[in-house]
Order: sequence, then structure tokens, then C-alpha cells
Amino acid sequence: MRICNKNDLPAACLWAGAVVAVVATTDNLLLRTVLSVPMVFLVSGHTVLRAFGVRTTSALQHLVYAVGASLSAGIAGGFVLNAADFLTPLGWSLWFWAVTAAAALVAAVHRDRPDLPAWPALARVRFWQGTMVMLALLVATGAYALAVRDEAAHREFKYTEFWLLPSPPGNTGRITVGIRSAETQAQRFDVEVTLDGQPFAVLRSVAVAPGDTWTREIPVPALATRQKAEARLYRPEDNRLYRSVSTLVPRN
Amino acid sequence: MVASSDEDMTLMMQTHSTARTRINPLQAGMRFVSTIIGPDLRGGSVEAPSQRAKSGSMAILCLTVAVALLLVVAGHAAGRRGYDVAPPLFWSGMVLLVVPTSFRIAWPTTARGERLFLLFLLAEALFYCKKVYSPTSFSGYDEFLHWIAAEDLITARRLFLPNALFPIGPTYPALEILTTAIADLTGLPLLVAGTLLLAVLKGTFIGALFLFLESISGSSRIAAIACLVYMGCSTFFLFDSSFSYQSLGIVLCVLAFAVEAASKDLVGRPRLKSLGLIAVLLASLAVTHHISAAFAAIYFGALACLEALRRRDPMRIEAKIGVGLTAILAIALPFLWMQARGIPLAGYLGPVIEAGFNTLLGKILGAATPTSQHLEAPTKALYLQLTTLLALLLLALGLATGFFRSLAMAAQSGARSSWGAIHDISKCRWRDSRLMLLTFLAFGLPISVAFRLTVIGWEIGNRMGTFVFLGVGLVVAVSVVHFWQGPAPRGWRRIAPAAGLAVIVLGGVASSAINPIDGRYRVAADQESIEPMGIETARWAKEWLGAGNRFISDRINSILLASYGRQDVRVKIKDGVDPASIFEAETLGPGEFWGLAGSDIDFLLVDLRLSTAPPVLGFYFQPWQRRQGTPISGSALLKFNDVKGVTRIYDNGSIVIYDVRGLHENL
Repeated sequence: MRICNKNDLPAACLWAGAVVAVVATTDNLLLRTVLSVPMVFLVSGHTVLRAFGVRTTSALQHLVYAVGASLSAGIAGGFVLNAADFLTPLGWSLWFWAVTAAAALVAAVHRDRPDLPAWPALARVRFWQGTMVMLALLVATGAYALAVRDEAAHREFKYTEFWLLPSPPGNTGRITVGIRSAETQAQRFDVEVTLDGQPFAVLRSVAVAPGDTWTREIPVPALATRQKAEARLYRPEDNRLYRSVSTLVPRN
Repeated sequence: MVASSDEDMTLMMQTHSTARTRINPLQAGMRFVSTIIGPDLRGGSVEAPSQRAKSGSMAILCLTVAVALLLVVAGHAAGRRGYDVAPPLFWSGMVLLVVPTSFRIAWPTTARGERLFLLFLLAEALFYCKKVYSPTSFSGYDEFLHWIAAEDLITARRLFLPNALFPIGPTYPALEILTTAIADLTGLPLLVAGTLLLAVLKGTFIGALFLFLESISGSSRIAAIACLVYMGCSTFFLFDSSFSYQSLGIVLCVLAFAVEAASKDLVGRPRLKSLGLIAVLLASLAVTHHISAAFAAIYFGALACLEALRRRDPMRIEAKIGVGLTAILAIALPFLWMQARGIPLAGYLGPVIEAGFNTLLGKILGAATPTSQHLEAPTKALYLQLTTLLALLLLALGLATGFFRSLAMAAQSGARSSWGAIHDISKCRWRDSRLMLLTFLAFGLPISVAFRLTVIGWEIGNRMGTFVFLGVGLVVAVSVVHFWQGPAPRGWRRIAPAAGLAVIVLGGVASSAINPIDGRYRVAADQESIEPMGIETARWAKEWLGAGNRFISDRINSILLASYGRQDVRVKIKDGVDPASIFEAETLGPGEFWGLAGSDIDFLLVDLRLSTAPPVLGFYFQPWQRRQGTPISGSALLKFNDVKGVTRIYDNGSIVIYDVRGLHENL
């Protein structure tokens, strides 16, 4: 039994209007996602199909064609909005509204548009079957969450970042030395800074915990000639040179 | 004439018996071979009696798949830590995922709706397995290139921005357009928006492929089995599931095929309406992906030629015109887009194709191989190689037993059960040109395998698979339904073909990558080289140096710097100066020194881990550079320590960033 009314067309227009309203007024991620995802993947393409008057013989065929037409509408929107210099969230919502409204109008005024295919009868689902499907969803979602957690927690390499940077333009006379730890436990370091080979500053027992960043701005004399600053990182327990970095002090 | 599968078996046994007793063994042998590979469609009506989908078995399979996914996640987690248990965990998950679903899909009496549900379930589950390799970021090299382009688009809100790492990418921006549309409208991060898009594309692809094959074969059973065989393609699991333009291109391509095939019997206005939708899809395809658009052009061009050749056409001339118009659109639209954007496609793809063909021809003719070919392809685990080989053998068996049967299906309906059908085809009398075309397309499989046997041609062979498997899937499915199973199979005929199909799908996963399981860092191995330290270094560059500095580095750190670091990464220092030579030479020669000094490069990023092993893929920097079988030397990488004007601003023990802006003042 095919569906012969055209109630889907005003519903699609309302949906598109709701997307415009939501995108213009709220940053609520859930609300915008719930409304916009069907808009991008289905609603716009569905109305385009209706406007074309393509006859589909099954719900699957209609869905697949509608997704294809939606993708095409989205791609076309990219070029149109780019030409209009309006590739913004509001621009996108207005584009999908315009496509949906225009296609719905075309579909509504033509009387020879084919009817929609009937939805297939849903299989009877028993309680235990529904429970199994829900359990399956839970296991799959949980497994994904585990994968995210594991990837974020796992680090193959343990290391300490050490850097020395010149002052940014307009703020001469300073260099920045920094340490960031991606080790497994807190460590202490000694930092030694030289300027053109001459000792300039020493910072003892700098403690950096895993994940922490330590930085220090060191004032240096800005001269007419270029000076080379060097910083060395030592581990006090073995007094071994651990890292060495350098930079050029900008001229005055 | 309908014969049961048992009769089919009896016939084969009789043929054996005949071979023993009759005088002419050659003739008996010929009959035996003819029975096996011949065009007899002994399956008759291949559709099982109509029955409802069994929601019980679907629910059980859902839970089985979920448990399988959990095992796959555990396999990746173990792989990251280098545990030996990783492959058993991962592959037991894969077997649990693929085998039960394949059996149910291939089961002769399964309902159409249930087959469809299971196909969607399996396709999305395989996408899930691909995604959990790196669930919080993109992982493949190409994915990073498109991610960078999408970031550029959402930041600048303009199309066609130049991309030094991917010069042709900005001219095919459809994937980035759709991803940023989703991200803009929903507020989701690009990674999530891209993943959502890919999941929808995967489902749409399976739906479109099923509809396409069902409309040309007239059987949902053949279509479902063909979709299953398609999942055995080496690109299905990884390459065509990645955030890259071909993932969208192949969907639009198959959608256009499906719409065209569904409209084959339409005339008048309905046909024109379908043509309108096909035109929209082909126009979208033209701006999405060059190779998919080229394949669509070849497909529709060949279809138009076959339609023109076809004799005793019961169809109206209108239908032929429809196919011809579609072919013109499929050829003209990509060409017009290339002309409009000035896309140097020949310069981009030409060298790859030429080198691949030359290498293959050299191998066939026994010519001396180029030096780079002496390097072996990256080594894979033996069990992966054996699975791939077994899958390939099963595909070959399916093609051998399905080729003439597919042709017989395409023949005019009068001669379905004998070589008469093939005779009809030789006289240009066939029923459906699409069926003919896909059957001949299956011949591409041996060619793509031959390409994959060469180091340089591997890329061509791999890409060919995406399209060739449309034909391979159909021919193997016809073989399974009309020869191996028949309409009401019993005993081994139920089990063996389904098991073979499961092996084919597993073979596709095994051949998709060097190692589909996440593992420890390896040098210059694309996704296996991407790990948190490189990512953190790129983020440091963005945080402390700001975005948009001009960097050069090796292949992997380049994409990390451009994506996470939002740096302006270059692959060229200036004309005539190759970045690889800057890094690889033991000392900085005058050419490189003055080249670097005269350039506008701000920073070099040196990854000292490159000196610990030879590059897995054969190159540290870009594929067109000389392939290396030995590691780069550590002293070569550290030579910048002693260059006047160069300072070492960052060091984490493995990765060093040099500031070369001081060099420019030497000029």
C-alpha cells in the first residue's frame, strides 16, 4: 500500500525552519545535532526526490536515493555559499531551508508526483529479543568508550620536553625557557642558561610533575649585535646533561 | 528446466563415471569441465519461498557482533602495548563478527529484509573496527590530508585554499564541504562530524550496492551475497572507510549506477526524472573524486557501447537514448570540472600510472627492475598472507564457476541452460548490458592482483579493487547461488559456500593494511607512526610558536604539524632543493645551505627515531623520493646543531625543532 498524501512536504519545511531557528538562537549541541543531522542526510534529499518526481518502489530505495540527493544538495550548497561568502552555520541552515522549501513547493504544485512507497511491516520483537539488542548496543558503546579511554591513557614514549624561545616581536629583552613532563613520575631538574657562552642564569631543583608545564621568562640585555642563548637541562641525581636547546636573542 | 542441487551433484558423479567407462575420456573430461564452469543455471528460481525476517536470529547476531567488537577493542589495546595476545584477540573478534553474519546472509532461505539488516550490521561493524584503531582522531595519512583541508575550510570559510601537502585536494572539496556543513550546523567537532558522515556513507553504499545488484540480477539473494563478496575487497575495510574523498566518491558512483539500473525499464517522463537525479549525482561526483568520476564515465561509456551493440532489442529506442545521455553526462561533467578549475590530473596521476604499468610490463617481459624495486614490499605476518591467499583462491574459484553462468543470466531468456546462451551473446543478443558489463569487469581482478605484486604498481592494483569488485561480487554470487548452493541446498552445500564467503571477507580485512591491529611505533609506516609524542610536539608548535609558521619535516611529522599544529608545512624548499636532501646528507652542502638560507622556511622538525630503522614503506619523506633500505644516520639528522644561524629551540629527546630564521639574515 503506497502512501498517497503530501503531508511530508509541509513537515519537511517545518523541520528546515526549526533548524534555522535553532542554529540562529542556541549553541545546544544535542538539540542542534538532533535537528540538523536528519536535515543534512535525509530531509533535504527527500524533498528534492519529491520535486524531481522520481518514483521509488521500496522504502529502502527511497531512503538510499534521499541520502544521495541530500549529499548532492549539501555539496551544491558549499559552492553557492562560497560564492556568496556565507559559509557559516547560519548560511548552511538557510541553504537547507531554501532547498527544502523550494523543492517542497515544486512537488506540491505538480499533481503527477508519484506516491511514497509504503513502509515495510516491522517484525514482531519479543521482550528477550529487544533485551538482547539493547544489551548489544550497551556492549558496543561500552567497548568504544573503553577504546577511547585506553587510547588517551596509553603512551608508548615517556619523555620531557624542553624549549628556549626568543621573545615575540615587540617584546625584546626576554627569552622563555620551558619544561613539560610526559614522564611517569615527578622529576627534578637543574636549568643552566648561558649567553654567548657565558653563564647567565641557573635555576636549581625545578620540580615538574607528569602532565605539568613549567616556564620562566628570563630578562636578557638586548644588544645591537645578535647573541646566542643556550639552555641546558640537567638531572641532579646523575648530574647528566639531559637536554640542550638554544635561540638567538633579537637585536635591539 | 529446473534441477535440484542433488541432481547437479549426481550429474557431476555421472560425469566421473562416464569418464571411466566410455571410450572417449577427452569428451567426458570436457563434459565434466563444462558442468563445473559452464553456463548452466541449475539454480532455477534462486529466491527462497517468501518468509518473514527472523527477529530472534537477528537479535542473537546483534549480541554476537557486539561481543566480537569488544574482542577487537581488546585486541587493539593489547597491540598498543605490544602484547603477543593482540592478534588472537583481534582475529577471534573478527571471526566472531564475520562468520555468523556471513552464514546467515548466505543461507538460502533467509528473508530479504533479514539479509539487508545483516549486511548493514556487518558493514557498520567493520567500520567500527576500523574506527577503534584510533577512536579519538583520524589515523590514515590521507585522512590527515582531508582533515587539514576541512580545518582550513572551517577556519577561513572559503573553498579552494591551497594545500602544499595535497595540491589536488582543494579542487575536489565535496567531502570537506559536507563535513564542515555537519560541524557548523551541529556544533560537533570535525572528527565527530567526519565519523558520522562516514558511518552514513557506509550504510548508503551497502544499500545502493544491494539495490543496484538486485535490479540487474533480479535476485535479492544474489545481491546480498555479492555485497558480502564486495566486503572482501582490500579497500572496503580501511581505504574506502577513511576520511578521504574516495569514500564519498564510490558512494555517489554506486548510487548513480543504482538509479540508472532501476530506471532501465522506464520510458517517457519517468525515465527523464530518473535521468535528472542521475545528472545531479554525477555532477556531485565530478567535484568529489577524480578516479571515481573516471570510473563512472568508463562504466556509463561502456554501457552505452554495449547497448549500441545489442541486437534484437525488445526495448524502445528511448531507453538507448537514455543510456547514451547518461554516458555523455558521466564523461562531460568531470571533464568540464577539470577544465573549469584547471586541474592538472594528468600530471598528478600520470606518473603513478605510467610507473605502475612499466613495472608490471617489465616484470612480465623479464626486463631489469629499477633499483627501487629491489626493495621488498613491507613484510606482513604469515597468517595474514595465508588468509589473503586463501581468499584469493576462493575468489578465483568463484570467478571460474560463475563467469559463464553470469553471462548466461545476461543472455536472452530462451537459452538459459546451455552453451546456447553464450552463443547468443557472441551474436550480440543479450538481455541486460549491465550484467554483461559487470561480468567482464570481473576480469579486472587478475590484473589488479598482478599490479599488487609489484611495489610501484601496488597502489594501482589496490585502487582498481574498489571498482573491479563490483563485478567480482556479482560473478562470485552467481557462482554460489547457481552452482555451489543451488535453490535448496543440503549438507556441505549449505556450509562450504558460506564458509568460503566468510574467508573472503576476512581476506579483505587481512589485505587492507600491513597490520590492521594498532601496535607500537614503527618508522615511516604512515598510521603506525602516529603516536602521542609526535602529536604533542605538533601541539606544542601551535601553542608556543603560533599557527602558520613555515615548516619542513618528514612525511609523518609534516601531517601532524599541519593538522594538530596548524602550521604551513612545505614539501618543497625552493626549486631544485629537495627537503629530503636537506635531512639525509651527512653535511649541509653549499647547495642545500644556500637553498635553505634563500628560502622562506622558518623551522625544521627532525625526528631522531627515523635513524633507528629503515622506513617501513620505503621512504621517509615522500613516495616519489628514492626508496631506502637502510636507516638514515643520526649524525645526518643532527648536523644542524653546528650550522651558524640555526638554533635548536625544542628538544624532547626524540624530536628536535630547529629555528632557521637566523639563516636568512646570512644573505
